[in-house]
Amino acid sequence: MLALGTLAHVKQMSRSPFEVTIALVVPIVQATLAVYLFRAGHEQHRLLQAAVGAGLMGVWSSVLFGSGGAIQNQRWQGTLEMIMLAPRRPVLVILPITVATGLTGTYALLATLAWGRILYGIRLDFVHPFAFVVAAVVCIVALGMFGLLLASTFVLMRNANALTNTLEYPIWLVSGMLVPITALPAWTGPIAAVLPTTWGARALREATTGGPVWPSVAVCLGISVLCLVFGSISLTYVERRARAAATLALA
Amino acid sequence: MKTLRLMTVGGVLAYRALFNWTRPAIFVGTLLVGPLFQLLFFAYLGRQLQVADDRFYIVGNAVLTATLAGVFGGTLAVGNERRYGTLGHVLLSPRSRTAVFLGRALPYAGNGLLIAVVTLSVSAALLGLRLPAAAIPGLLLAMAVGSLACAFFGLTLGALGLRFRDVWVISNVAVALLLLLTGVNVPSAALPGWMVDVGRFLPVTHAASAARDLAAGRGLAAAAPALGWEALVGLGYAILAAVLLKVFETESRRTASLETI
Repeated sequence: MLALGTLAHVKQMSRSPFEVTIALVVPIVQATLAVYLFRAGHEQHRLLQAAVGAGLMGVWSSVLFGSGGAIQNQRWQGTLEMIMLAPRRPVLVILPITVATGLTGTYALLATLAWGRILYGIRLDFVHPFAFVVAAVVCIVALGMFGLLLASTFVLMRNANALTNTLEYPIWLVSGMLVPITALPAWTGPIAAVLPTTWGARALREATTGGPVWPSVAVCLGISVLCLVFGSISLTYVERRARAAATLALA
Repeated sequence: MKTLRLMTVGGVLAYRALFNWTRPAIFVGTLLVGPLFQLLFFAYLGRQLQVADDRFYIVGNAVLTATLAGVFGGTLAVGNERRYGTLGHVLLSPRSRTAVFLGRALPYAGNGLLIAVVTLSVSAALLGLRLPAAAIPGLLLAMAVGSLACAFFGLTLGALGLRFRDVWVISNVAVALLLLLTGVNVPSAALPGWMVDVGRFLPVTHAASAARDLAAGRGLAAAAPALGWEALVGLGYAILAAVLLKVFETESRRTASLETI
């Protein structure tokens, strides 16, 4: 059911010109910016890292706006009640949507890597190519589970899509997708440590440039499972609350 | 005088009616906190790569944050009329639609200025940037001109909403391109010549340059040429928006596609 649901939502999102254009064009623009910045900073040897970082930023944007928009879209289409009335746990219905947003986010990662290779001649010399693929898959699934946690809170908010605008840059910044965490104030460390995006970005960076990939992958997976558990509990709670208050479609 | 009243009062009414973020918390989160983190992201990236100093990023990005209200506001000003089914009523008005729509841009320019001022103040306090007191009026002027240019740029994109179904793609891509092409985050010297040339015809580029001159204590005289160019760019987009709105309105009436979403 999860696989079929995810496939259905991936197909649906992939047919949206808006989703596909945003997933492809915006990350490429950001990656271009990153390349010129890294070049200006005489860090040409880190261009692949910049391309991967920009791609991951695109994945996060896709999950963030997808998770916020998924609920809102169902609400606008009038299908949110039907989804919540399905004789399944809410998590089984919503998780495919959020995982699908992560999967469509891979367009961003693939686009920035292809763009870097074709336009700027960035060699795709990953130190651990196999680990990179595994880390990318884990990262996407983890972000999908994190998206579930976000989506469960968005059920109660009418303007969830507006809140998503606030969360894009903070996660990019704190997770170290382009800016190393060491360059940030020390107080951001504990916040970064509990975000799956931090460990996902770290795993991808270590697979790209070298380093212990698997511990980061394991922590990323562990946190994402916690997100799944909390997201599931939260979704059940807010669904019951929204039913009791009769605000599911209006929240 | 009547036209001026139509532009200002009509613009404010439309702003209040079409503005989606009606709750203060969401207004603050989306339009004040979000841009602040955008600035911090690039300031820390710039610090880490040692491309330029904090002043370069703080002042440039503060001016750039006005694009959020300007570009998306301009798009909303036209797009939401269509979405809510009220576009036909606006276009049936016996008053000048050019004045109606140009007036729509004014509140968003004010909104953009508010965002820029707040972002500059908070980020300067957070990152420890000291600005000369004498530069404040000039900085306000630079941010105001930049915000107005952004709003007319947004209205130009919004005008495309009369012709194209999904104008949000255009506005999202435009905002991303402004990050790259205006020289706010990458110094012009590090960008290819064609990108710099394109950037000269975009809002923010000249306003950010003027603001940096002012923040460096070079005075209004030094910043005046860049401010003049920014005003010209804004005027250019106002004219372009008016022409596009007129052309697309005529075309939409001809093909009966006004309310097509």
